[in-house]
Amino acid sequence: MAKTNNNQLFTIIGVAVAVVVIGFLVAGPFYQIREGEQAVITQFGEAVGTETTAGLKFKIPLIQEANIYPKKIMSWDGEPQLIPTQENQFIWVDSTARWRITDLRKFYESTKTLSRAYSRLDEIIDPAVRKVISTNPLQEAVRSTDIINETKRSGALTGANGEEIEALKSLISSNTDFNAIKTGRRKISQEVLAGVKTNIQTQFGIEIIDVLIRQIRYSDQLTESVYSRMITERKQLAEGYRSYGQGKKQELLGKMEREKKSLLSEAYAKAEQVKGDADAKAARIYSDAYGSDPEFYNFWKSIESYKTTMPQFQKTMTTDMDYFKYLYSPRGR
Amino acid sequence: MSDPKMTAFGINFSPKLIIAIIVLALVGYAVFSAVYIVDQTEEAVVLTFGKYSRTEGPGMKFKIPLIEENFNVPTKVVQKMDFGFRMDNQEFLGGTTEAARASYKDESTMLTGDLNIVDITWIIQYRITDPRAWLFGLDSKEKTVRDISQSVVSQLVGDRAILDILGTERESIQAKATEMMNDLFTSYGIGVLVTGTQLKDIFPPEGTVKAAFDDVNVAFQDMSRLINEGNETYNKEIPRAAGEAQQAIQVAEGYATERVNKAVGDVARFKAVLGEYRRSPEVTRNRLYLEMVENVFAGQEGTDLVDKKLGSFLPLKTLTGKTSAPAVAGGTQ
Repeated sequence: MAKTNNNQLFTIIGVAVAVVVIGFLVAGPFYQIREGEQAVITQFGEAVGTETTAGLKFKIPLIQEANIYPKKIMSWDGEPQLIPTQENQFIWVDSTARWRITDLRKFYESTKTLSRAYSRLDEIIDPAVRKVISTNPLQEAVRSTDIINETKRSGALTGANGEEIEALKSLISSNTDFNAIKTGRRKISQEVLAGVKTNIQTQFGIEIIDVLIRQIRYSDQLTESVYSRMITERKQLAEGYRSYGQGKKQELLGKMEREKKSLLSEAYAKAEQVKGDADAKAARIYSDAYGSDPEFYNFWKSIESYKTTMPQFQKTMTTDMDYFKYLYSPRGR
Repeated sequence: MSDPKMTAFGINFSPKLIIAIIVLALVGYAVFSAVYIVDQTEEAVVLTFGKYSRTEGPGMKFKIPLIEENFNVPTKVVQKMDFGFRMDNQEFLGGTTEAARASYKDESTMLTGDLNIVDITWIIQYRITDPRAWLFGLDSKEKTVRDISQSVVSQLVGDRAILDILGTERESIQAKATEMMNDLFTSYGIGVLVTGTQLKDIFPPEGTVKAAFDDVNVAFQDMSRLINEGNETYNKEIPRAAGEAQQAIQVAEGYATERVNKAVGDVARFKAVLGEYRRSPEVTRNRLYLEMVENVFAGQEGTDLVDKKLGSFLPLKTLTGKTSAPAVAGGTQ
């Protein structure tokens, strides 16, 4: 029976030791920091150190605690805010930022939790964006460069010939010359970043890597008026095209009329000239020949003429004619 | 039953058997959790106590259970992200039908450089090039990629005029967006490479604005049509008029030739007759005269011949000419 008791005691001791060991291990002198993580070591709530490399780490169980935080690049997403620009046009601006914890101790002391860090960032970055946007004209927030004025726009006019492209360019370019920008979106982003970076770094141990404008939209009210402006701009262009086409057509019809008239009148002039020359030439030929004996010509032409004209008359002749001179006497009259 | 053996299902569970089963189960679990599979498209990052130890290629791989963990990352797969729309139920619908596309206006609506509104949907393709950096360098991975892409496209669109975006600038925006995103991702060092950006649909805002834009295209076509009509009429009329002009000239030339030739012929005849006349003027003159009279009266009946000395004759002629009035003859029928 004593042996059984011994055995039981041994088992109890073994279990107790195992419990203590496991308990020790669970309460943890060891903890693990993964890649992309870092930890603040606190002792009764007081931060006593940081651990920023990954691996298996040691702490004093029950007394120290490891609070794990990310070392990764984090993303901050601002709520879209309705901001008036310098010319008092209301636009929705949606910005986004990248950040990471660089001074973990300061971060732990000032914010402790990520959600609190996010609301601190909201409180600082949102007003900074608002301030910069509202002191700049709208186009500075929208555009980054002056590339808009460098684009060649003849591509839109495919199908027109060279001369037409020139004419239509002037039609289109009425609304394609833009003011050069002074700041631009990229600089606005940098301004916002510069405005918050040091403050956030010193206060919270957070490095803001960049602040970017993700999206800009008009306020609903403004959208409607922009729509109607876009429509009128398009209409203006459409009517321009139509009117240009109509004008071009009329021009062609006029050109046609002119060319037609000039062709026909030139032909008339030339034809008359040719005829006249021929008449003159014929007259010269006749007069050259006939002039050599005008009296005979008169006689000859007369009798030739009688031949053609006489048969048409109704005739009552008298014997008085020379023709009949031998009618009454062989010796003649 | 003083015997400590327990029985169940007819098997005697001695303590040895129980221990054997436990050991076997532990070994089985160890082997099971020590083996992992890396797909052909993946790479696996292995952490030992949370610290990076190695990156494994495809195949069946081993790790130390509980101490090492593996993260499989699809590094050879080009992944796709949609903006301004989402393909729902891609497996069901093959991802191509319009019905499967849900619209996300808050992503697609943006401002252009000429302060107009445009709707753009696009996709990006990207690949994870450094699984370690991707896993442990970046917190909200998908969201960051999305934010950056939106910001970059919005910036590029904000730098260009709406007509250029609808027209020629598509390619340049795609190329620039890819480049700018990669610049940012490289600066973050998060091991991702954008392989391409494709702008899908670029539309002016739906409804009346779009109608106005479409009308510009219609107007451009109208313009071309009007110009073509003008050219058509021109081409129809002018060659014909040219032909008519040529005709008039040709007719005149014909007249001229005829006129001159006639003159030459007439003159030749006259000259021949004149030659004859000069040889014996009196005879020729008389002959010509007599021939003429003969020619004129030959074959003609009903010519009245009146003797000039017949003083009492009163010539009566009917105006109709055919039958003379019977009253003068005095006879009855």
